[in-house]
Amino acid sequence: MSALGRLWASLRPRRLDRELDAEIANHLAMQEAEFRARGMSAREAHGAALREFGGVTQMVESYRERRGLPWLETAWSDVRYALRGLRQNKAFTAAAIVSLALGIGANTAIFTLVRALMLRSLPVSHPEELVTLYRTGAWGRGYGSYPWYLEVARRTDLFQGVIARSGVEKVRVAGDRVETVQQELVFGNYFRVLGIGPAIGRLIGEDDNRKPHAHPVAVLSYDYWQRRFGGDPEALGRKITVDEQPLTIIGVAARGFGGVEVDARPDLWIPAMQHEGEIMAPGAHWAWILARRRPGVSRAQIQAAVDVQFQQYLNTVYGANPVKAFRKIAMAQHVEAREGGVGLSSLREQFGTSLRVLMAAVGLVLLASCANVANLLLARGAARRREISLRVSLGATRGRLMAQALIESGLLAAAGAAAGVALAYWGTGEILTFLPDPIVVQPDGAVLAFTAAITALAAILFGLGPAAQAVSIDPAAGLRSGAGASAPRSGMRRALVVAQVAFSVVLVVLAGLFGHSMAQLHAVALGFRADTVIGFSLEFPNSWNAAQRTAARDRLLADLAPIPGVSAVSFGFPGPFLHGTSKGTVRVVGAENAAPGGDAWVNLHQAGAGYLTTIGGHLRQGREFGAMDTSNSQRVAVVNEAFLRRYLPQERHPLDRSITLDKDPMAIVGVVEDMAHEGVRVKPAPTVYLPAVQLNNPYEPTIVARGAIAPEALIAVIRREAGKLGTEVAVSEPKPIRQEVDESLFQDRLLAAVGAFFGMVALALAAVGLYGVVAYGTARRAREIGIRMALGARRGAVVWMVLRDALILVAAGLAIGLPVSYVAARQVVSLLFGLKPADAVAFGVTTAALGLAGVAAALVPARRAAGLEPVSVLRTE
Amino acid sequence: MPTGEILQGTLDLMVLRTLQTMGPQHGFGLAKRIEQISEGALSLNQGTLYPALLRLEQRAWIRSAWGVSEANRKAKFYELTRAGRRQVEREAEGWARTVDLMRRFLEPAK
Repeated sequence: MSALGRLWASLRPRRLDRELDAEIANHLAMQEAEFRARGMSAREAHGAALREFGGVTQMVESYRERRGLPWLETAWSDVRYALRGLRQNKAFTAAAIVSLALGIGANTAIFTLVRALMLRSLPVSHPEELVTLYRTGAWGRGYGSYPWYLEVARRTDLFQGVIARSGVEKVRVAGDRVETVQQELVFGNYFRVLGIGPAIGRLIGEDDNRKPHAHPVAVLSYDYWQRRFGGDPEALGRKITVDEQPLTIIGVAARGFGGVEVDARPDLWIPAMQHEGEIMAPGAHWAWILARRRPGVSRAQIQAAVDVQFQQYLNTVYGANPVKAFRKIAMAQHVEAREGGVGLSSLREQFGTSLRVLMAAVGLVLLASCANVANLLLARGAARRREISLRVSLGATRGRLMAQALIESGLLAAAGAAAGVALAYWGTGEILTFLPDPIVVQPDGAVLAFTAAITALAAILFGLGPAAQAVSIDPAAGLRSGAGASAPRSGMRRALVVAQVAFSVVLVVLAGLFGHSMAQLHAVALGFRADTVIGFSLEFPNSWNAAQRTAARDRLLADLAPIPGVSAVSFGFPGPFLHGTSKGTVRVVGAENAAPGGDAWVNLHQAGAGYLTTIGGHLRQGREFGAMDTSNSQRVAVVNEAFLRRYLPQERHPLDRSITLDKDPMAIVGVVEDMAHEGVRVKPAPTVYLPAVQLNNPYEPTIVARGAIAPEALIAVIRREAGKLGTEVAVSEPKPIRQEVDESLFQDRLLAAVGAFFGMVALALAAVGLYGVVAYGTARRAREIGIRMALGARRGAVVWMVLRDALILVAAGLAIGLPVSYVAARQVVSLLFGLKPADAVAFGVTTAALGLAGVAAALVPARRAAGLEPVSVLRTE
Repeated sequence: MPTGEILQGTLDLMVLRTLQTMGPQHGFGLAKRIEQISEGALSLNQGTLYPALLRLEQRAWIRSAWGVSEANRKAKFYELTRAGRRQVEREAEGWARTVDLMRRFLEPAK
């Protein structure tokens, strides 16, 4: 029977008592039987057996003592003692628990996200062997092209298998009701390399992905099979129509497998060769490459080998491209071999650094709250010196006192953790509302273990110092003095407060940096009116020709235009904000020298009539496109100011100029202010706007509408009108451009909001800590202050004395915290917009805030000290 | 040492050794056997055996289970564990050394 057995025994004493009674009764019965056999009477035998056995009661007692856990009973009484103490001092207990709940809750919340986004392995065989080959530079990020995939797939010296798969994307599945589901295009080795088997049927294999458009098959995810077919095995062999393609269901993937992305789970897997587009072109970057490395090949080896190979590949594809600007951009690409077993996540790419910063910040919050609780415990310990001294003199051992103090810390930490977990649940939900795409976040065993670990750590951090102080009390001195005048100096408490101030300095600086950065972002002139403009895109059936598409688009525009509340409506491509970029080269007639080789590398936008004014652009000169621009009229273009600055810097009459695109001359008829099409952070590039009507290229347009009514009402109108196009045309969610701008800044908003919250918490904790120590110091020095005042010190001098005490602590905290903050600021500089690490605003605000906290904390004790009556103080002593 | 008193710790070894030679036994059987072997030199309060058995069980030297006795009674049987067997060997060796040593001291000088 182990210690666990003993614990078990002390938890169910009755059952074991019964067992022991039965055993004794048996023993006595056997003995009696023996005596009876020797010829004793029943009565004699009974008595003799009892005598042989010895004292039954005594034996049972010693047996029980042995069986249970004496320390457990002691511990239980200590727990009750601690609970009594905590109940008696409700304010202290509440302050400590709130403080710990903030620290533990903040850590749990952020860790829950870290775990979901960064640490959870994919449910595939040997996830640790997977690497992803992440492309950087030039167009988009991460995805590579088919020819590049073929290059990598040849490297059997490095890899056991190489997968190419598309990103998870939305498609429409026809049926009784049209539904939007997620698909992933995969190559034939996808399931084999990942080590995934079918739940039923078979999965996509090499033979399902040989020839373009020749393999109309689909594999369902287990969840989708359940959702759409109720888990019916008859689904095998049925056809489903995905974006107008009828596909035969050949199987269902193993339960629990949801692809290789963290942020999105595919419902369908379809052979990549089935895709309508030109997937084999070197310019189509659609394939995310995932590879299983050979045993013994390190990620660093792969990185080195694959990047060299990539440079050779780039040289064959782009080395001979005549456009120098294009060549330069194309050749500056690289491949990074990244860990693949944790799944691919574009959210992690964007958000990873922020999460790490938040994790570090909440670590500081926990330290600050531990320092705060330690301080509270020390303050209470000082108030309880008499009690503890009494207990020591009555024979309580130091070990027992230490154990009691630690049990109390443990109880506080556990209560803090319980409240913290609730707080974390709320906090995680709040943080998720900032993210542009919902991700599935569920706290799991690892999160619980993490919370338990930080709780234990916190209990030790804040509990050990005060516990050590409690046992170091000299009972004689403690009993002689009161809690008052000759209480000891509070060196440990002062040190803790300085630490607390330092922690909060770092957190407030971070909050200041993120807040200032956010303000800078808000101050950026977007060049269009984000608040009143709604944007959405149309997606036409693949079978429609250009005329059909144009007709549908124009019908919708004509329907929307006369509606009251719609001020203006137009369309453009790619669209006003983060709808993608389309780049190309133009030549500026007569000013070719400004561009290398005469080719000006610019962003190209198509615009409908009135597009620029609809989105709220400001025309600096000339006009924008209108009804007068037709496919037969003179070809025209509008350029932005960045274009003029870059390619026509000296020109005072740009409207006299013209440009050529593919040798077609176009007159510049207008100049528009720069617009942040590529995001708030990106400096607007030289841009040329062209009238869509003169291009006749049936892109899928972004429709823009400006309203004089509330955005919600305008969205409802748009939905109604767009619905008239029929179910064949997919209409994206109409959104105010402001919302897209905000979503693009989600990290900045999140960091600013969370940073401000933690900054305030830390500041409040620091102020409370300062108040406690200053008030205690003032009370200790009441006699000294009384004497000074009796000797003629003025009240102002007394106030200053108390204030100086607080400000010295703040200054010490700043002296430690500011340099640390500078180091921290340098780590987060990549997340800031237009700021240097040594941002005067953030550091200035922090210094002022902490100074104010110091003054606020000293105010009450200072007034109390100044209000002291010298005579009464001296008399009580 | 007055006859019949039991040296601290020796009862444990007696119990373990008895279980080793006789196999699984209930408490009463053990008490009988120990008295029998000591040929009346040991007056054991049978009751003291039970706390000793518990102690041995807590050290994982023996284990117990309910079974049926020869007289068809339900009884708790004790059995030596592997760790208990090792313990017997260790202690037996220790005792042998101690006895040998004491004998050398106590034998009349040659």
